[in-house]
Amino acid sequence: MAVAVKTQNLPLIKKIRNIPKEEYYVPGHRTCAGCGPALQYKLVAKAAGPNTVFLGPTGCMYVANASYLCTPYAVPWMHTQITNGGAVASGVEAAYQVLIRKGKREGELPNVICMAGDGGSVDIGLQAMSAMMYRGHDALFICYDNEAYANTGIQTSPTTPYGSNTTFTPPGPVIPEGKKLFPKDPPQLVIGGHPAVKYVATASVAFPVDLMNKVRKALNVQGPAFLHIHAPCPKGWKFNESKTIEIAKLAIQTGMWNLYEWENGEYKYQHKPKEYKPVREYLKLQGRFAHLSEAHIAKQQAFVDAKLKAPGIPVAIPISPPRAEA
Amino acid sequence: MAKEMELSGCAASAQAARMAKVEVICSYPIRPYTALMMELAKMVANGELDAEFVYGEGEHAQLSVVAGASAAGARVLTGSSGVGVTYAFETYSPIAGGRLPVQMMIADRALDPPGDFGSEHTDAMSCRDQGWLMGWAENPQEAFDNSLINYRIGEDHRVLLPQYVCQDGYFVSHIPGKVVLPEQSQVDEFLPPYTLPHPLDPKHPVSHGPQIRPDQGTVMDLQRAQAMLDAPAVIQEAIGDFNRIFGRNYSPFVEEYMTDDAEMAFFIMGAHTMTARHAVKHLRSQGVKIGLVKLRFLRPWPTQEVAEALSKFRAVGVVETSTSYGGAMRGGNLLHEVRASLYDVPQRPLTTSFMAGLGGEMVPLKEFYYMAEVLAKMIKDGKASKTVYWVGFEAEA
Repeated sequence: MAVAVKTQNLPLIKKIRNIPKEEYYVPGHRTCAGCGPALQYKLVAKAAGPNTVFLGPTGCMYVANASYLCTPYAVPWMHTQITNGGAVASGVEAAYQVLIRKGKREGELPNVICMAGDGGSVDIGLQAMSAMMYRGHDALFICYDNEAYANTGIQTSPTTPYGSNTTFTPPGPVIPEGKKLFPKDPPQLVIGGHPAVKYVATASVAFPVDLMNKVRKALNVQGPAFLHIHAPCPKGWKFNESKTIEIAKLAIQTGMWNLYEWENGEYKYQHKPKEYKPVREYLKLQGRFAHLSEAHIAKQQAFVDAKLKAPGIPVAIPISPPRAEA
Repeated sequence: MAKEMELSGCAASAQAARMAKVEVICSYPIRPYTALMMELAKMVANGELDAEFVYGEGEHAQLSVVAGASAAGARVLTGSSGVGVTYAFETYSPIAGGRLPVQMMIADRALDPPGDFGSEHTDAMSCRDQGWLMGWAENPQEAFDNSLINYRIGEDHRVLLPQYVCQDGYFVSHIPGKVVLPEQSQVDEFLPPYTLPHPLDPKHPVSHGPQIRPDQGTVMDLQRAQAMLDAPAVIQEAIGDFNRIFGRNYSPFVEEYMTDDAEMAFFIMGAHTMTARHAVKHLRSQGVKIGLVKLRFLRPWPTQEVAEALSKFRAVGVVETSTSYGGAMRGGNLLHEVRASLYDVPQRPLTTSFMAGLGGEMVPLKEFYYMAEVLAKMIKDGKASKTVYWVGFEAEA
């Protein structure tokens, strides 16, 4: 007798004081002070609750978290290779579908969440992530974006911004800007070619209630969902570890990061600034951009301006032109 | 009632998966193994098998999907051939080290270059040292049986290791042979439901595969090695039960054919064993005292059984269907292990190897007759003048 598979319906959180007290990502890890990815992990785990299985591709949230005998996960967690988070998550979801259907497991389908870094999401992990989205597994893929291969010593990834000084893109007389390429756009990659996907959103550690509600919405839809979460990295971006939230907010205020949801083909924007600050305000706080010249900053500004006007990221209010260069 | 059918190796493996009630399957097309997935896809579509059939986006994903499903508590099957087997290489150690009893059917295919559909064991042999159980089927019946036997052994909590269940591409995978399909009740008696000691279950949270310090690594390697050491006793038990329940007569590790009073023997595994049997039978009718020893498990390698089986001969010819470029024996992989197994035997036979069937070529009877000539000359000369003969490319015996 086949048993129908039910998924849970997590209520949305109205205010920060309504956030559950229970922690499922607990102390005991070894991340750096001010770590954005660790903070977002804590919020994601809180939002998802106890009926959750995490898949952790290799990356900071594996290497700095999952030490034998003191992992911080109070829910089931499994390491995956950096290459295959989406595939392993697909397998866990498929197993639960059949095991519940056959009556071998009781209860609702657990939240299957793949927590991958930017490399594990849209670089070496792109194929597995895309296939999970294509096949329609009822699972959530989160790209926690610290904009570099950080645990290996800050190397460039496809989401590392233009002009970043990383250990693979050091600035020098021949290549003065360091990184010459502009980044991939993970949520647009997912939205652009995966008809099974129900829900895609971007989030930031600067807005925890918004982040947690996006996690819950993503888990409540039946089918694949993708979250792109901005998670500043004090070590990689070279800023003081007390400024993680300030940097994350500035990214949104300058248009370097946008908060939006995509559901049923519709975009909705959150915490959109009335007027964008120049990207310089964001760049100047971070050592990774310290070497940039005025021309490089102008190039970055032009990229952001174009992105804010680009199709697929409609802006409901008029964008004020960036302030003139000083 | 058990029924007899004509099935290819791929179709036989699919029947085994159906009767083992496999729960998660992950596919990706590559010849020749892909006929297995075509059969399974039909079974799922027809409602003969209640399983999740996941379209992998490549072999690496195939292994990753079934790893996740196995860790969540489902019985799983995947498979591949040739460069597909090597494409998934990264996943083999994490699966074995994670002690996930994944089953992978390999229908051998030569590796590139150039593109070659033929069967050669190099694909699977390249992956042999990762902690997977491993052995070859000679015919579709054995492909069917080995699938059930390997689930039973791999899922045993004393072992908990993944399994490469190998069959030669085309020679076994696509040529129909007689297969006796047992009753479901026989399979259920032989193969208990799959359980994992610590599955991914929110009711009992566990962490799989955390980071370790270098000083914790040896212990884990030792445990994986110990599982291989513990496997033979479980294999013996499983083969005993299999023979009793299904009325078969398998030896667990090595099978002998016409070895009574034999002076020399072929040491072989897989599809070409069938031709070798005919060659031995013919040579016996000519008065040549030759026999045959067939290997059923390459991993764990049955050191003692190989030594006992081979030490009674004066000369042994190892038939290699894989390459080990630059290896100590200058040929394939098997002679290394055969010679290592015989090292402590006081009366060692003379040994050499024959590169045959590479690229998926047939190994016709006349090539086995040639090998027998070489073995006879070794006995006459009292020495093996070479460790490898490339059959068909040598001037003389």
